Amino acid sequence: MKAVVKNGVGVFSPQGFLDANNNSAFLSVEDMEATTNLKVDMILVSMKKVIFFNRNGLDVFIKLFAKIRKKNHTVVGFCDYDHKKYASIKKFYKNDINFSLFKSLEIAYLFSSNFKEKDKKILLYSSDKHQRSAMAIELHNNGHHPLIIQTQKEFEEKKVIRDLYDYVICDSYLGEMGNMIASRVTGNAIIYSVSSYLDADISDSFNIQYHKNSLNVGFRLFIFDAYKVISMNVHALNFFSRLASYAAEYNASIAFVGLSFDKTPEVFKENLEDSGILFYEQMDDILENKELLKELGASSAANIKQKRVINKATVIELPRFIDATVATIEMMTNSKAIKEAVEVHNIEITDKKDKIASSIGYYGDMDGMVILIFPTHIAKKACELLIGETTEDMELIIDTLAELANIVGGKIKTLLSDDNINVDITLPRTYQDIDSLLEVVANRKGVQVDLSFDDNKFLFFLTR
Amino acid sequence: MYKIQINEVYMTTKEDIANFIDKIPPTPKVLKETLFLLNTGELTKAAKVAETDLALRAYLKSIVNKPIYGFRNEVSDIGQIFGILGVSLSYQTVYNYMINLLSPSKWTLFKLNEKSFHTLQANLSKKWDLILEHLNIDNKDIHSSITLLPSSIIVCEALFSKSIDDVKLLRNTKSLDYNTILSRLCNVTLFDICEKIAVKWGMDEIIPKIVQASSGIKHSNDEEIDNLGKWMHLLLFYELSQTQFVDAGLNDFIDFQIDYVGDIYDDFATLMEIS
Repeated sequence: MKAVVKNGVGVFSPQGFLDANNNSAFLSVEDMEATTNLKVDMILVSMKKVIFFNRNGLDVFIKLFAKIRKKNHTVVGFCDYDHKKYASIKKFYKNDINFSLFKSLEIAYLFSSNFKEKDKKILLYSSDKHQRSAMAIELHNNGHHPLIIQTQKEFEEKKVIRDLYDYVICDSYLGEMGNMIASRVTGNAIIYSVSSYLDADISDSFNIQYHKNSLNVGFRLFIFDAYKVISMNVHALNFFSRLASYAAEYNASIAFVGLSFDKTPEVFKENLEDSGILFYEQMDDILENKELLKELGASSAANIKQKRVINKATVIELPRFIDATVATIEMMTNSKAIKEAVEVHNIEITDKKDKIASSIGYYGDMDGMVILIFPTHIAKKACELLIGETTEDMELIIDTLAELANIVGGKIKTLLSDDNINVDITLPRTYQDIDSLLEVVANRKGVQVDLSFDDNKFLFFLTR
Repeated sequence: MYKIQINEVYMTTKEDIANFIDKIPPTPKVLKETLFLLNTGELTKAAKVAETDLALRAYLKSIVNKPIYGFRNEVSDIGQIFGILGVSLSYQTVYNYMINLLSPSKWTLFKLNEKSFHTLQANLSKKWDLILEHLNIDNKDIHSSITLLPSSIIVCEALFSKSIDDVKLLRNTKSLDYNTILSRLCNVTLFDICEKIAVKWGMDEIIPKIVQASSGIKHSNDEEIDNLGKWMHLLLFYELSQTQFVDAGLNDFIDFQIDYVGDIYDDFATLMEIS
């Protein structure tokens, strides 16, 4: 069974009956590993469409959870259940619950650092006071505002006033949370959350490949949320200095927010500043300051470390890239594509109006970036299949366009693997207008393919 | 043998679906005659006609000798098979054979083969009989309605097998079942196509109505049909939760409507001895 990944949460959704006879068929180690390779924060099994389960039916999941947690520090558990199912799971495992339980997938998202929405008002209740505190801390860390309720009676009274809260959390349980350095995207900046004592371990818990890919895709501002850092030693200092040198090659900026120097030598700050790292007291000092954001590169990614040209390997595989894109868009729009022109030059977009774009990078045996430029109404049509209805909500369309770019990236990966070329794909990036896209790729040479879907122009651009 | 090649149809336009339906041949003469004789209670004559079709004969033998039918000794004579099964179940088994004619020679979307598909048909049929007995229903058309249900799997295979990679990528990005994808692309569901098969083969009109209700998304206004739809929906997911069908990739080919079957679940669990 494959997981569906959204907001950094991979969800498996078995349906029907779970017992000792069939549980291993639903989920295998390979399924789990394939999901963890997608760099998810959490792996959950949805119980929404499970009508019957017993302890034997869950045991295989629990064993797999333990393996994955040990290996990847990913949060694992169950979601999407009613009170009866929650009570059954708690009864089966009593005091031996090392996994998490989230009443709904939406509640699970609140605990994922990849979830974009912040500042949610949350009514929170658990009969276990340690759980109440643990959940409140995690929610707070993720930028939300939990209101903790101490008694069942008070919770019953408060939860009926539904309009006051964005979410109501009950029947949930936090197992061990992951300890990888969490990352999230805010606008075009990437925020890493670090805490406690920073030492040599940071090299293991920081996903350097993710960071490099983010640079390649065009992200230029990286913020370390360091409010909860107590101190750092010389190994961590060296690590951040190296990171800063690497960022400089891409003209990217690294900033620390909220780092206190009570227990960290002031000389460390000077060393880090010499490396080019910036320091701010509050996150809003950066995120709310549009001018500063622009200056730090969060809205621009024009200065690439090295402008690389399209190479022979890319040209040979070009038909596969085009096929992957065309097949996906044809599938999503249910219309035929006509290839109008293929040329190698800097990107040329004659009419910038009413167009949106998305890009996705790939790296491994080959590397590069695919950019898709849609007329807005074609993007809407292409996203209808995923959304399930027509919509004018541009935010939803842009979000869905990222999913579409993901599908194209996945298709490219599959087609290349047929030729024994192994690549991984980066997170997709979206652009609400063409000017912001051009800031990233204006001076890059690539292969431009003009396509037409039912007389609507669609542009594919492949660059490195 | 009338093995029909229909899995060359490409997804996913309405024209493709129309092509698919066009390629379904009319009911073969032998089957028509067998069904007519069964309908009039002429089991011996029906068996004699059925004997003339070697593929039908082989199918009937293979299906009734599956463990779920519980015969100690192999039953090989068609007259004996019809005699043991009686009119309703013989009718049902011949319909199962007709649906089986639509199945592809090689499955690619789902990891099925001839044997496992026959097992699915046999399991559904036997358990459906148990349910109808529990509900005190003895009607040959209602008994036969279960035979149309697996045609939804055949239709799904036929329409999506050429685009496996695309569909899988789509399903990894968004939790969409095949029925929803087809419905969003063509405004037609797998069960609408099953209905067309039923009409083309002259099945009693109650059969597609029950199968439509069993989709869990098109409820029937007729209380009895809706109730039968619930039982069939739950039975389908009970069967699709079996290891070999989970392995075949069938568990989530359509969406399980858990709320739809809430009121019959306890009865079902008792009947199927689920604990």
